[in-house]
Parts: sequence; structure tokens; C-alpha cells
Amino acid sequence: MAPNARIPGMAAPTQERPLDLERPIREIGTDLAARMPRPRAVSTARVERRMTELLMKDPALRAALFRFVDVRPACSSPADVTRHLHEFLVDAESKTARRATGITGRPLAQRPIAVAAAAGVKRMAQQFIIGEDARDALPEITKLWRNGVETTVDLLGEATVSETEADTYMRRCEETLRALASAATKPGQVNLSVKVSALTPLLRPTAPERGIEGARPRLERLLRVAKEVGAHLHVDMESFDTREAITALTLDLLSKPEFADGPSAGIVLQAYLVDSPEHLDELLHWAQSTPRTHPFVIRLVKGAYWDHEVVQAAQMGWAPPVFTDRHECDRNFEALTKRLIDATPTVKVAIASHNLRSISHAAAYADARGVGNEDLEFQILRGLGDDTQAAIAATGRQVRAYCPVGDLVAGMAYLVRRLLENTANDSFLAAAASGTDTAELLEAP
Amino acid sequence: MNTTFRNEPLLELRRGPVRNEALQALAALDARLPLEVPMLIGDDVVTGQVFASVDPSNPTTVVANAHAATAAHVHDAITAAERGQQVWSKRPTTERAAALSRAAGILRSRRFELAALAVREAGKPWAEADGDVAEAIDFLEYYAQNALVLDAGRPLVQMPGERNSMRYVPRGVTGVIAPWNFPLAIAAGMVSAALATGNAVVLKPAEQAPACAKAVVDALHAAGVPHDALALLPGGDEPGKALVADPRIHTIVFTGSVAAGLNILQTAHTMVPGQRHVKKVIAEMGGKNAIIVDSDADLDDVVPGLLKSAFGFAGQKCSAASRALIHRAVADELTERLAGALSTLRVGPAADFGTDVPPVIDIAAQQRIEGYIDSAAPLAQGDTRDDGFYVPPTLFAGLPTDHKIIQEEIFGPVLSLETVDSVEHACELVDAGGFALTGGLFSRSPRTIEHVSERTPVGNLYINREITGAMVGRQPFGGGRLSGTGPKAGGPDYLLQFVEARAVTENTVRHGLVV
Repeated sequence: MAPNARIPGMAAPTQERPLDLERPIREIGTDLAARMPRPRAVSTARVERRMTELLMKDPALRAALFRFVDVRPACSSPADVTRHLHEFLVDAESKTARRATGITGRPLAQRPIAVAAAAGVKRMAQQFIIGEDARDALPEITKLWRNGVETTVDLLGEATVSETEADTYMRRCEETLRALASAATKPGQVNLSVKVSALTPLLRPTAPERGIEGARPRLERLLRVAKEVGAHLHVDMESFDTREAITALTLDLLSKPEFADGPSAGIVLQAYLVDSPEHLDELLHWAQSTPRTHPFVIRLVKGAYWDHEVVQAAQMGWAPPVFTDRHECDRNFEALTKRLIDATPTVKVAIASHNLRSISHAAAYADARGVGNEDLEFQILRGLGDDTQAAIAATGRQVRAYCPVGDLVAGMAYLVRRLLENTANDSFLAAAASGTDTAELLEAP
Repeated sequence: MNTTFRNEPLLELRRGPVRNEALQALAALDARLPLEVPMLIGDDVVTGQVFASVDPSNPTTVVANAHAATAAHVHDAITAAERGQQVWSKRPTTERAAALSRAAGILRSRRFELAALAVREAGKPWAEADGDVAEAIDFLEYYAQNALVLDAGRPLVQMPGERNSMRYVPRGVTGVIAPWNFPLAIAAGMVSAALATGNAVVLKPAEQAPACAKAVVDALHAAGVPHDALALLPGGDEPGKALVADPRIHTIVFTGSVAAGLNILQTAHTMVPGQRHVKKVIAEMGGKNAIIVDSDADLDDVVPGLLKSAFGFAGQKCSAASRALIHRAVADELTERLAGALSTLRVGPAADFGTDVPPVIDIAAQQRIEGYIDSAAPLAQGDTRDDGFYVPPTLFAGLPTDHKIIQEEIFGPVLSLETVDSVEHACELVDAGGFALTGGLFSRSPRTIEHVSERTPVGNLYINREITGAMVGRQPFGGGRLSGTGPKAGGPDYLLQFVEARAVTENTVRHGLVV
């Protein structure tokens, strides 16, 4: 069923005729595609394209290389690096990998291979991670600002298992807010995305109140700092296990009178969750009944923990909380997009997607509703969506890059997840990179 | 009846409404306490000297008043079971399997209530208590299906003029001595394996958890297992000893301590006048389980994996980790992170969803574990409280290898960290131990994983995850050395322990012709 189809016999809910979005979607999408490097509708930016294609065709090699990237920071010496790489390649059911073991198995080759492999991983990481800390990342961030691209910074780190580690993360967040503020050239430019799971070691799926109480003082403090420096604080969403705690804590803190006039803040809605429409009900209900100087920002994403959710549900015997059909998920993304745009200006909408169809759909619907840049922005992941970002910006729409910051060790989990996404067979980026026709990419899900 | 086995889904306790339903079930159970657990011998409901099981989180709450069996009751129960054996063993396997599957259905329909009972009577936190109910259901379904497979016999070599067949027959009356730590699952597993293969059973549950055992027995009776074929004898040492010594018992299935297990083996293998068979003992006797952490391990996974393995259910699982053997290269960092993480563990009542570490089972356990904790200086220690049988989760580091904290099974929330020079060094330490139940390895090197998998003596090795939580049909459970006599509960070979094989060969040649 197309997202704008109606149940036969039912009157349209408004006096207007149903919008025909398909034409404007095609126009906007074709225009965006034309602004990206040819022949691919979306490039994978600076990630080696041939590498991406090779990995997509060779799942065993892909698995071997990902396992190597994953373990790389834990390797202590060149011999250790080469040993791991060699072991992964030997085990891979892949001709390319077998050929490579002829080199990785040579004792004399250890050092040069280790150096090259480590450099390769580092280069890959640098495409996604813009600096070790805020100061290190500032040149890249201010460059984006100068080009009219907004940013949100995400601090990568190890899992938080103790109160000390939660404090460290909070301090890094605070330092980042202040460092960015000192470089900002206009109000509202500083934007930080934070993870509740890093603000407390107490998140427990069966006891959300523990995580809420654990993270509350730290998130509260960050909200105060954000307010003080005029920054936007965005609370990221994570696995489904933690959604209840993250949502309750965020809405509860933002309901405090102290934060009614700032800072600007937001949360995330994950369209791959089957109950995301009900989650949106909750968010909108709260936003409508909680007047704030800055509209509440809701970032709509597909969701980044799909494999985790599906595997966990299978092992526990649960119905997966996520859509297992990609088209269903895409249709839900569009339905949520419309509801969010209809809810402006009470909320501000961020469409975070690299999917050309999803982006074009949001743009077309916003145009039809007369919703502009002050209520709607697009978000892309730095390193993955750079071409998309440039194309959106060129059409005069507001775009924001999600910029991870952190050291290589901390960034590895993020890097692995991004790489897996980028080379997965059902990934939009992969389809685009492999040269799928633009019209096909723009078809209604 | 299902033909492919699937594990019973766990309750999705991460959803608020499911948690509410659980709490309502607990309130409903509390209103009925104390429960009454008489002896069930044949068709008789028998009373005796009353003893209580209490809530370890709040010992003033009596969960059940149980009636203790004496040696005389054991004698009566075995007499009834011998009658039951005649009836039950003659039922077709399909009928027996169907009864077990119906019992699984009954447990399924009482899902929340039984989890609540395990919370109260055994002090199991909700997720663990629910896992216990689900595992009980799994055992019933899994053994029911496996019995059908076994019933088909095994193919043999055939020759012209000769017809060979082999089938499996029940061994005879089976005595089951069950532990309190999986009061539903292990009782259900040991009983149902015997029943599935056509044996009558006399069950002696743990003193601390008679009401859980009664729930299992009730379900089996209601599902059509004759009362003569399944007796329940609550009580302490006396009925256990009498059960093991009785010459009419053919198989003894036991889960518990090494000392008790070795005693059982000795008694069971002493012939009694009039005894005409060798008793078989199936024993699962605990462990001293180690997790090896290699230099290339992902410490973000290691910390929660160690915490869950060592402190989940206060370490009261045979599979729990009590030693971490950590590569020198990551020892300092991991030790610091673990010590920091230890203080995030909340010690509290099992019924509280926010609890990480519940109380231990009784005052004897509490004092025994405290004795270990007092025998050395801890590296870090969590909270404790005094309104139940609580013990603080405790970390030790750098103890000499011969220290009792490193050598003996503590069965409590105690983890000792040891620094090793290499994975091989860690393997040597594991190999030097007397137990061989579970073990863990955190490593990202395929060759290291292969090497440890081949080298380890343990029955269940877990790689890059916690070492507890074996699932029926997925992680057949059991170990060697002093950890047990070897059979894998929840695995495809387990039922072979409960049967004898009969081979029949018929000459089909008549007057020189094959007929």
C-alpha cells in the first residue's frame, strides 16, 4: 500500500484533496542525484569505492576484514597485527583472502604489512571520525560551518561500566560544548549529541528507573552548560532495551521550569521500531503540553541497531521490535515524516537519512505544507553522506552533519557498524553505489 | 506435538506491562502464602513433621510448610513406584511423551505464578526465575521429543538369513535428588528424562525449595502421569540417604555438592543383600569455573560478561565464574574497570526489578561464604544489607594459587582475579584444577579460540560471552572430572542414561531358505 493511499470508502480526513507527492518527489530526487558525482546517485564519499564493491561481492572477505578492523586497536605489536590479519584471512572462504595469505604468512612481511594495515584502518577511521577531541576536530567543524553546513558532535568512547567513566564522559561533553562555543560564529551553532548509556553505568532493561536516576544529575548538568553557552543538546537513541529510560529521563528533565527557556534540545525517533508511531504519540503529546522557547527537535532515523534487535529477539524467543521488511520500514519512515512535519512548529524536524527517496519525500511534503528551513533540516553521517550533504546544501535546504569525535580505540565500534551498514546488501548506499538507476531508487516503498 | 524443538520464549521483562503482570502474580502468590507441601506417595497425600521454606530476601516470610519424609516414607514411595513402573513402562512412548508435553503446557499456563514462586522461595531475581520456568518447560518438551526418537531404536548391520534389531527399555525405578538453585528447571529436567524413557520416579527436592518441586509434580500428575509413577518426598538428608541406599532403586540422578555426590556414588555402589542389579548414578556436582581474558579481548564485553557470570543470582550456579585469568597486558586496566563496575551492582531483594545481586539461599550459605571472604583482603567489595541472607559481591586479586578462595567452590558472589603471562599459562592453571564444568575465553584470535577449545578440560566452554545460562538443546550442560559423571543435560544423548539396550537377533532361515 502506498503511503498516501486511502482506505476505499473513507473520507479524506481534511477538506484538502490528497496530495500527489510522487511527482515532486521524483523532481527533487532527480535534482539531488544530478548534483552528486556520476554515475552513482550517492557515492560513498572517500571510502574506496572499489573496496566497497569488492566487499559486497565477497561476504567472507568482508567478515574477515571487519573482524580485523574490530581487533586492530587491541593489537600490541606489528607481529600481533599481522598475526590477527593472517588468521582472519586464512579462515575466510574467499579466493581473494587466500591469495592475500601468501603475503601475510611471510615472516619478513610482518612489519610492512602491519604498518600498511594499521594505516589503512586509520585512514578508514578518519573518514568517519573527524578528530580525537573537540579541539582536534575544530578545523573540520568550522570548515563545514563556513560552507553552510551545520554540525552535531558525537563523542565516541568505550562502554561506560563505572561511575568514574560516566563522569569522564560528562566532562568530555562539557569541554566539547565550551570548546565549540568559543569557536562559534553565530547563535545556535553549537550542537552536541549525547548518549545516556555513556552517562551512567546503571541502565538496566528491566529497571529503567535505575538508569534514569543514574544519568539524571549528569544530563541535567549538561543541559545547564548547554543553556549557558547557547548550545543545542540532542539525546541520542540506542538499543530498544534502553528506549524507555532515555525517553522518560529526557522528557522529565526538559519539563523542569529551569529548562523551559533553554537550552534547545531534542530526541530521536527510530522508524524501524514497529511501535514508533506510538512513541511519536508520546513525544508529540509531551511537546504540545510543554511550552518551550526552543521547539523540541525530533530527529527521525531508520535506526542503527537492527541486527542487534533481531538477534536478541531470536535468541530470547521474542517478536522482533523492528520491522523485518525493508519496504514496511521505509513506508513507516514516510508516514512518520508526514506526522512530524504536520506537527511543526511545535516541534522541529530533522530527517536523518542517506536514502534519496526518504529525503526527497520529506522535502516534497514539507514544500507542499509550506514548511521551510526554520522547522526542517536534513542530517547525514559525516564520511558516509558527504555527497548527499553537498547536494542538499546546494538546493538551499538546511543540512547538518553528524560528526563523531574520539580516538581510534573508542571509535572502532562505531567504525565497524558504519562499514557493515555501508556494505550490507540491502543498504541504500550500497545500492546507490552499485549504480542502481535513480528512478528506481526514488520508487515509492 | 511439535516436531522441531524451539526454546520456550522468555518473558519480555524489558516491557513495563510485562513487569506489571509479574508483580501482580507475585502479589497474588503472597496472598496465598504459606503454601502446603505434603508428601505425595502413590494416591496418598501424607503429612509428617513440618519444616518451612522461607524467602531468602525476607526470612520472616514463610513460603511453604513442607512435610518431611522419613526412611519409612521412602520405603513406601518406592513400593508404590514399583507398581507405577509396571504401568508407566508399558504405556507407548507416544503416550508418555504426550503427557510430558501436556505438563509443559500446564507450566506455560502458570508462567508468571511459577516465576513468582521461584522469586520467593529460591530468591531468584525475576529474569533468572523466569528463565527457570522456561527451562523447565524446555526440558519437558525436549525429552518428550527425544524419547520418540530413541523409541525408533538404532540401525544395525543386517545379513541374509538374520534379522537384527535394537531397542531401548527403561532401567527401572529412579531416585531424583534435586537442588534448590534451579528449583523448577533441574527438578523438571531430571524427573522428565526418567519419565520420558518409561521409568517411575521418586523425587526428593531440596529442603529450601519444596514448593517449586511440588508445582512440577502437580503439573505432571495433572497431565496424566500416574501417581504411583511419580512420588514427591520433601525433606532433608534422611529421605535422600534412604533413597540412595534402597536396593529397589535402579538409577539415581543427583545435582548438588561434590561431597554429597561422592557419598551417593559410594552408597549406590555398595551391594545390598537381595539387590540384583548395579545402580547407575548420574551426578552433576559443581565447578570452579574460570574465564580466560586474552590480551586482544574487547574489555567493553569482558566487564559485563564477568559481572554477569560471577554475580548473577549471587554466583549460586554450578556454571558461575569464580576465577578470572587475565593476560598481563590488560590486567591493570581490566582490574580497575571491574572494581569500578562492582560498585554499580545493587544488592537487594529478588523481587525488586532493580536488583543485580540477590541474597544467598540461607544462613548456612551466608556464613560459609562470609568465611571465605574473611580469609583474605578483598580488592573491592559491593554493598550488603542485613534484612535477608545477603553477602556483598566481592573481588579478590593476586591471591596465591593454593589459596582456598582460588581452589574451592564457594557458590557465592565472589570472584578472584589472577594475572597470567599467556593464554597457555591460563590453560595450565585451569588444567591443574579438580573441576571441569564451565569455562570462558575472551579472545579475538581464531587460532587462540581453536587452541583453548581443544585444550580445555571443561564440559561447556563459552567464548566472548558470559559462561552461565545454558539453553536446552543449544548448550547441552555438564562437565567431567569432579564436576560430574559426564552426561549432558538438555542434549541429544542424555536419555541414554535412563535406558538399557536390548538387541534381538532372529534367524530367518527355514530348511535352507530365507523366509
